[in-house]
Amino acid sequence: MQAQIIAVMIFLVMFVLIISDKIERHVVALGCGLLTLVLVLGICMGSAEAVAETLNLRSMLQPEFWYQHGGGVESAVGVNWSTILFIAGMMIMVEGMSEAGFFRWLCLMLAALVRYRTVPLFFVFMIVSAGLAMFIDSITVIMFLAAVTVELSRVLRFDPVPMILSEIFCANLGGAATMCGDPPNIIIGTSLGYSFFDFLENTGLLAGVSLIAVLLYFYAVFRKRLSAAEHGPKPGRTAPAPKSAIRDKGSFLTSCVIFCAAVALLMTHAQTGLTVALIGAVIAAVTLIAAGGKNAKKILRRVDYKTLLFFIGLFLVVGGLEQTGVLEALAVLIGRVSGGNGMLMVGIILWVSAIASAFVDNIPFAATMIPVIKSLSASQGIELPVLAWALTMGADIGGSATPIGASANVVGTAIAAKSGHPISWKKYCGPMVPAAILVVMISMVIIFIRYF
Amino acid sequence: MERQLILAIGREYGSGGHDVAKLLSARFGLKLYDRELLALIAQENQVDEKDLEWYDEQRSSRLLFRRVNGFDNSPGANIALMQFDYIRRRAEEGESFVVVGRCGEEILRGRPGLISVFILADREFRLTRVMAERGTARAEADALIVRTDRRRRAYHDQHCGGRWGDARSYDLCINSARLGIEGTADLLERYIKARNREEMPEGQTW
Repeated sequence: MQAQIIAVMIFLVMFVLIISDKIERHVVALGCGLLTLVLVLGICMGSAEAVAETLNLRSMLQPEFWYQHGGGVESAVGVNWSTILFIAGMMIMVEGMSEAGFFRWLCLMLAALVRYRTVPLFFVFMIVSAGLAMFIDSITVIMFLAAVTVELSRVLRFDPVPMILSEIFCANLGGAATMCGDPPNIIIGTSLGYSFFDFLENTGLLAGVSLIAVLLYFYAVFRKRLSAAEHGPKPGRTAPAPKSAIRDKGSFLTSCVIFCAAVALLMTHAQTGLTVALIGAVIAAVTLIAAGGKNAKKILRRVDYKTLLFFIGLFLVVGGLEQTGVLEALAVLIGRVSGGNGMLMVGIILWVSAIASAFVDNIPFAATMIPVIKSLSASQGIELPVLAWALTMGADIGGSATPIGASANVVGTAIAAKSGHPISWKKYCGPMVPAAILVVMISMVIIFIRYF
Repeated sequence: MERQLILAIGREYGSGGHDVAKLLSARFGLKLYDRELLALIAQENQVDEKDLEWYDEQRSSRLLFRRVNGFDNSPGANIALMQFDYIRRRAEEGESFVVVGRCGEEILRGRPGLISVFILADREFRLTRVMAERGTARAEADALIVRTDRRRRAYHDQHCGGRWGDARSYDLCINSARLGIEGTADLLERYIKARNREEMPEGQTW
C-alpha cells in the first residue's frame, strides 16, 4: 500500500510540475522517474527485478526487439525503447528534410498549384497537414505550414488565423490515422503489438471520415473570413517561388528518397518483420551518412533530446504505477462504473481520454492508460483493439480542443502570435472545441457500428 | 555632434510618469514610445492594432499557455517580445528616444546613453490625478491603481531579472508628488544634462 501511495504521489507531482511549466518537463520526468526507481521499486518494494523490468534495458538485447516474424509484442512494462528509438530516428530524418528545404518547398509548391487563391489554399493546406502528419511529427508539420501560411497571408492579404487553426486540427487528426503519426500511437502500437496497417484500417478509417467532416465544418465556420480575403496579391508583392526553398538540390533529392523509403518500410513492417525500432535506427543512420560529417553533426545537434529524455522519465514513472498495481485498480474501477457494458466502457475511454488530453499532455495519459485497457480487456472480456482505437482517437483528438492540449497547437498559435496574430483561449476554443466534439462523436458512432 | 540618448521611464499608475516622459521628449526633441509602440508593431506586421491592445503589458499565465521547443503561445509574452525587439532595433540603429514601461531599463541595460528612471508618488497624489483624469469615484480610482500596479509588476517581473520599482534597477527613483509633474520633469532635465557633462566626450552633446 505504501508503495502504491508513493507511486501515485510521484505521478501527481510530475503532472503538476509539467503543467506549471516552472521546470523543464524532461527534468521533471527524469527526476520523478529516478524517484520511482529508488523509492517505490527499490526501497518500498525492495525488488531489484522490478527495477530491471522497469528500466527494460534487456529488451534491446533480444532479437525480437529488432526483428519480429509473425508479430511479437514489446513489453508494456517500463521504458518502451522501441518508441524512443523510432522517434529519435524520425527526428533525425525530419531534421535532414528540413535542412534540405523539403517542407517549405512542398508548402510553396502547393500554394503555386492552386494559384495562390485563398479558399483552395485553405483546403489544400488542411489536407497536406493531415497527410504529412500521418508520417512525421505534427510539430514539424505545423512549424512549416504555419510559417508559410503567415508569409503568404502578408502577400495575399488574408487573415492567417483560420487557416492555422484548421491546419493544427488536421495535423492532430492526421496523426491519429497511423501508428507513427502521434507519440501516443507509437507507444500504443509497440506496447500492444499492432502494425502500421492495423492502425490505418481502424483509426485511419475514423480519421479519414472525420477529415471529410472537418473540411466541411471549418469551411462553414471560416467561409466569410476566407472569401473576404479573396482579393489577390498585394500590388508590387509576389509570393516566394517554390524553388527558392531548396538549399541544395542533391540533399533535397536524397531527403525525398529517404522519406519515401521510410514510409515504405513503415507500411510493410508487418510483412517484412522489421520492427519500428530497427526502422528508426536505419533511417537515422542513412540520413546521417547521406548528410555527411559536418551536416550530420548539425542535424544531431538539432535533435530534440529533451523530448526523448522526457519519454524515458515518463515510462519510468508509469512503470512504477504498473508494478505497484495502481493501474490495475483503476481498470477495476472503470469496469465497475461501466457495469461490464462494452459500449459504455469504450465511451468512457474515448471521452475521458479526449477531455483529459485537452488539458494535459496526451503522451503520459496514453502511456498510463495502456496497462489499464489491457487489464480491462482481460477482466471484462472486451476486445483489446477496440479499447486501443478508442484510446488513440480520444487522446489524439482531445488534444486539439485547447491551445495547450497538444504540441502542434502550441507551435501553431505561437507562430501566429509572433506574427502579430495573438490567439486567446476564446478565439482558439470557439471553432476548435466543436470540431473536437464532432470528431469524437463520429469516432464513437463508427466504433459502435463497426465493433459491436 | 549628437550622441544617443535613451530615457527608460518606469512608473506607478497615477504618478504622472507618462506626462513627465512627454515633457522630457519634447524638451530633448526625442520620440516617445509608450502605447504608440503597438501601433508601430501592428503597422510593421500588417495587423489591426486593436488585436494587440488587450495584451499590452499583460503578464502571461503559465497555466493557460505552454512552451514547446522554444515556441511560446502566450499572446502576452509574444506581444512583449515584439515590443522589446522593436525597442532594441531602434536603439541599435542609433535612434534617441524615450520609452515608457516595457521593461526598458532592463532590455536596454548596458547601452551607452541609457538613463533609467522610476517615477512613483504618494497614494493621495495618485488618487487625485486618477479621479480627475478618469472622472471616477475615489473607491474606483483606488481599485484601478491597485489593479494596474499589480499587473505592471507581474508583467515586469516576468520578463526582467530586477524587480519592478526596486531602486537598485534604476539610475534614479523620484516621487512626483513632491515637485509636481513639471517640477519632476525640470529636475530630471537637470539630471540628464549633468550626466551629459559627466559622460560626454568633449564636443558631443545630447
